Amino acid sequence: MIDMILEIAPVFITYYLVALGHGFFEKSGVLNLAIDGLFIVAASVAFVGAVYTLNPWVGVLSAAVITALFGVFLAYVTTKFPVSHGAVGLSLMFLGYGIGLIFGIPANFYANSQRIKSADYTFRITPDVEVMMFIIPIIIGFLLLYILNYTKLGASIRAAGENPHAAAALGVDVLRTRLIAGAIGYALIGVGGAFFTLAWRSGWDPKIYLLGYGWLAFAISLSAGRHPLVTAINAGIFATLVKYQYLIQTTTGISTEVAKMLPFIAAIIAMVIFNVTPLRRILAPPASLGKIYYKEEKTV
Amino acid sequence: MIHLIVVKRIKPIPFSGFLIPLISLITGLLLSGIILYLSSGISFIDLMATILTAFRSPTVVKDTLILTLVGISLVLAFTGAVWNIGSEGQIHMGMMVSAWTALFSALADIPILAKIVGILLAAILGAFWAFIAGVLRAYAKVDEVPVTLMLNYIAYYILDMLVYGPWRGKRTWGYIRTDEIPKILRFQRILNTTATWEALILVIITGILVWLLLRYTTIGLRIRVLGSNPDILRSAGISVPLTIVMALTLSGLISGIVGSVYFFGDTYRLSYPLEEHTANYGYLGILVAWLSMLDIRAVPVAAYIVSSLRISGTLMQIGGLGGVETMFVFIGSVLLTYSIVRIFSEYSVKIRF
Repeated sequence: MIDMILEIAPVFITYYLVALGHGFFEKSGVLNLAIDGLFIVAASVAFVGAVYTLNPWVGVLSAAVITALFGVFLAYVTTKFPVSHGAVGLSLMFLGYGIGLIFGIPANFYANSQRIKSADYTFRITPDVEVMMFIIPIIIGFLLLYILNYTKLGASIRAAGENPHAAAALGVDVLRTRLIAGAIGYALIGVGGAFFTLAWRSGWDPKIYLLGYGWLAFAISLSAGRHPLVTAINAGIFATLVKYQYLIQTTTGISTEVAKMLPFIAAIIAMVIFNVTPLRRILAPPASLGKIYYKEEKTV
Repeated sequence: MIHLIVVKRIKPIPFSGFLIPLISLITGLLLSGIILYLSSGISFIDLMATILTAFRSPTVVKDTLILTLVGISLVLAFTGAVWNIGSEGQIHMGMMVSAWTALFSALADIPILAKIVGILLAAILGAFWAFIAGVLRAYAKVDEVPVTLMLNYIAYYILDMLVYGPWRGKRTWGYIRTDEIPKILRFQRILNTTATWEALILVIITGILVWLLLRYTTIGLRIRVLGSNPDILRSAGISVPLTIVMALTLSGLISGIVGSVYFFGDTYRLSYPLEEHTANYGYLGILVAWLSMLDIRAVPVAAYIVSSLRISGTLMQIGGLGGVETMFVFIGSVLLTYSIVRIFSEYSVKIRF
């Protein structure tokens, strides 16, 4: 039983960190529809970094840096210009699929031609490592909760998400706040995506862009009201569902395709439950999420 | 320190409906060129030459017709500010019922009826698939973007389940796919292109109907007001949720028809796994709708450009994925520049030092 729980760890760390980073960024008021594409960027960049250096940590670090740059870009464009958050986010999603594949494919050829085995560049998963993969993300979750609720930065992030105009009037630099939230949020998404390639899948496959796992992380975060600790519970549930979809399949006799469908159906149901129950009131989404922020005072 | 200052224009710039898509397209292609050069060493000249070849490619007419239809479907939803990103799934649900009609129903013996029923059922199922997202958006306030997207994955897996299981054909040379539909059930090709007469007729009829709907009917007016100011609808006593459901369902209906056009006119069969065999028309349609600036009359032009981009993607594939990676770079960079450039019709950006 404990073995079965521990085996969920690589899936859990992936989903939890991605959902955590996404929720943290959205708290600042930027609607993040780029998540699935940039998840693929993270997974691919991590693979490239790890394969060429044979060190998984280089992979994790490069994924974090590259996706953080995308996060900063998304935050800058949506805050500085009166553009649609949805349109920019979806564009970055498509661009992310393309860039992820274009960088991943040559590295995949390189790995095959050099006969590099996945054990050479991925994390060695032992029970100790699995325990750490539960503990460290939860510590990060507590840390983000602390930042959001007890620091000046957290107050600025929440203010920028609730009402950026009022926040700016009270002296909050909305652009700076969102840039920081974008960098931290997307660095976490990057690390999560890196663990997808380097711990969960132990390898890279050009078809990963078809999986839609970034959208599951989106649903995990949304249905947890973007609360760092509630997100952990949701991530745990989805990680179990995805990890054991094949076990569910063999024990219940349903087909592979139904098993693959289940997490998506569950994601839609989770979002509906969140929205129709008092949960939405208790863990209310940021009031200005996705709204165009344009200050008339910019006219000089 | 350089400061960018965004100022609202007193009047929008003239010809913005034409200039903005053009500038976005040029800048987007430049951005794609830079990305492809840095990552794969493809020179910009080669990229341009491939795109120009694609403009005259033999399959461009077929893609243009299909993408015009997807574009019309999405313009309808986007006009109401309802972001239907699920056209891909609605197309696949349409393909599913078209395949059923042609391969397994008793209608297959009466070709003309089979085609008509195939198109009608595809429209109904496409509409139903969008209706689900519409109801969730309107009544449970769940954002339609993630829901329509997730329904795409669910649609793929439903078709995969059917093709892998009960629908697997007998004459497939070991491939996991359905049998091909008989020649008599296929749409008729236009001259020596891969486009079909039926597709052309459906594009013309749908285009005119949707244009009339948006311009002259109450439903169209409601959808337009929904897109510009839903509060006005509310104060006029018109149900906003119902208008949302209507916009999404009608959009899904047309996307469903696309599924039947694609099945009867191009694929003739379903191949497992569907998600790897898709032409991604549903996603390309988003680019078409935006580039047309939500004007039905401009949709065919936008569809022609996007079709050429798709084809040039397949011509210069990098890693054996059928060019899907280049296609995504094109869609992403053109959409990105478009989303930013479009603000210049109403705003100007000044640089201060």
